[in-house]
Amino acid sequence: MEWDWAFVIQILPTLLQGVKITILATLLGSIVAAVVGLVIAIVRRSKNRLVSMPMGFVAEFIRGTPLLVQLYFIFYVLPDLGLTLSPLVAGVIGLGLHYGTYTAEVYRAGIENVARGQWEAAKACNLTPFQTWTRIILPQALPPMIPALANYFIAMFKETPLLSAITVLELMNQARSIANYNYRYIEPITLVGAFFLVISLISVIGLRWLERRYGRIG
Amino acid sequence: MININRLGGAVSAVMLATLVSAMPAKAEDTLDKLKEQGFARIAIANEPPFTAVNPDGTVSGAGPDVARAVFAKLGVKDVVASISEYGAMIPGLQAGRHDAVTAGLFMKPERCNAVAYSEPILCDAEAFLVKKGNPKGFKSYADIAKDASATIGAPGGGTEERLSLEAGVPRDRVIVVPDGQSGLKMLQDGRIDVYSLPVLSINDLAKKANDPNIEVVAPVVGAPVYCDGAAFRKNDTALRDAFDKVLAEMKTSGEFAKIIEPYGFSAQAAMSTTREKLCAAK
Repeated sequence: MEWDWAFVIQILPTLLQGVKITILATLLGSIVAAVVGLVIAIVRRSKNRLVSMPMGFVAEFIRGTPLLVQLYFIFYVLPDLGLTLSPLVAGVIGLGLHYGTYTAEVYRAGIENVARGQWEAAKACNLTPFQTWTRIILPQALPPMIPALANYFIAMFKETPLLSAITVLELMNQARSIANYNYRYIEPITLVGAFFLVISLISVIGLRWLERRYGRIG
Repeated sequence: MININRLGGAVSAVMLATLVSAMPAKAEDTLDKLKEQGFARIAIANEPPFTAVNPDGTVSGAGPDVARAVFAKLGVKDVVASISEYGAMIPGLQAGRHDAVTAGLFMKPERCNAVAYSEPILCDAEAFLVKKGNPKGFKSYADIAKDASATIGAPGGGTEERLSLEAGVPRDRVIVVPDGQSGLKMLQDGRIDVYSLPVLSINDLAKKANDPNIEVVAPVVGAPVYCDGAAFRKNDTALRDAFDKVLAEMKTSGEFAKIIEPYGFSAQAAMSTTREKLCAAK
């Protein structure tokens, strides 16, 4: 089977549609993961064990089960419980929850890196817990975490083909549809690899920049 | 101590041997090769009554049963089936992963260009599975194209996907469904408005679902009766011709009807048409 450039040009616009969905899913998934991770990290620090223990269990549960299984659960099982999410929303939530349990560890390490004296100083200044978190702790904890978080987001980007299993028409699914329709795999699948590589490389350059910008603090 | 280098060499030699044995054999000796190894590798879906995988792992369904009988008469003792997506069957055949496709892959001109089909085996019209009362009144693929909010589920690379796209349903409203059970579930959950398969497959699915909230629309208006054949590699015409010869004998002897009719297929439909006609049909 030979490489056919005319076929490449013919399928490129369709594949780019898929690239758009893949990037959209990654961005939205990253936002969910960033928020979920922070919530998990803060709740797990709670001194009330009735709160921190269940959250710890949930986080370990999600981290200990495959993303694909979680996606199937969200997509096929939740409707039986009365919650029918669109494929993309189900996928974004799946990615976000799964990676949120990983970013939570990044947050935990970052928060623990803030000197204990800062907490005591905040208390001495009579700041509320909310003020302590938003004014003192997070502004110091967050910048060093950015490269580690970005690393997870690149990893998430490479997991988005799993969303094709729940009918999201992302890059991999588009490529498979094209292959199915034309009986040719060589061009679509090679292009999928090329798109992922190019976007990953660009992201890595961005990551290096983030490391230079924020990595040295802390 | 194990010599790692030697071990590595042995492993790569085994891998190379596997690779070589997996390469497509030359046309004229394919049948000899199959006889010698004692089995033929066939691609199937899991879509009763065309193809079915039983709970104990054995393979049945009208397509594999016919293939097993024909290959037995050709001196190939058994068939080994692997489940595949419809769209992946022809590339898999071309790549030498299967020796034949016997999965209800209906003959259409573009498929006839890609593979060497046997004479017709299983014929069926198309059907829709919809919510009770067919709320949107779908009768044809064109009806779905006209309703801008309607989505249709179909197997990836299957005839129904192509018919939907050809009728003008945009790509993002043709949802590729991995298997019958998922299609049924997606219809019940309201993720798709229509699930389309051949009539016998839809009837089988609807019967198993036993859900009073769904109903079958069959046959679909404007979609003629299609027939599949066993599909071989383009250069395996010798094997295909041998297959055809046995198939023709079985059609005359009534053995063919005895295999497919319990599954609900009409032997008469397959015998009243030819590969030539079906491959020429637009």
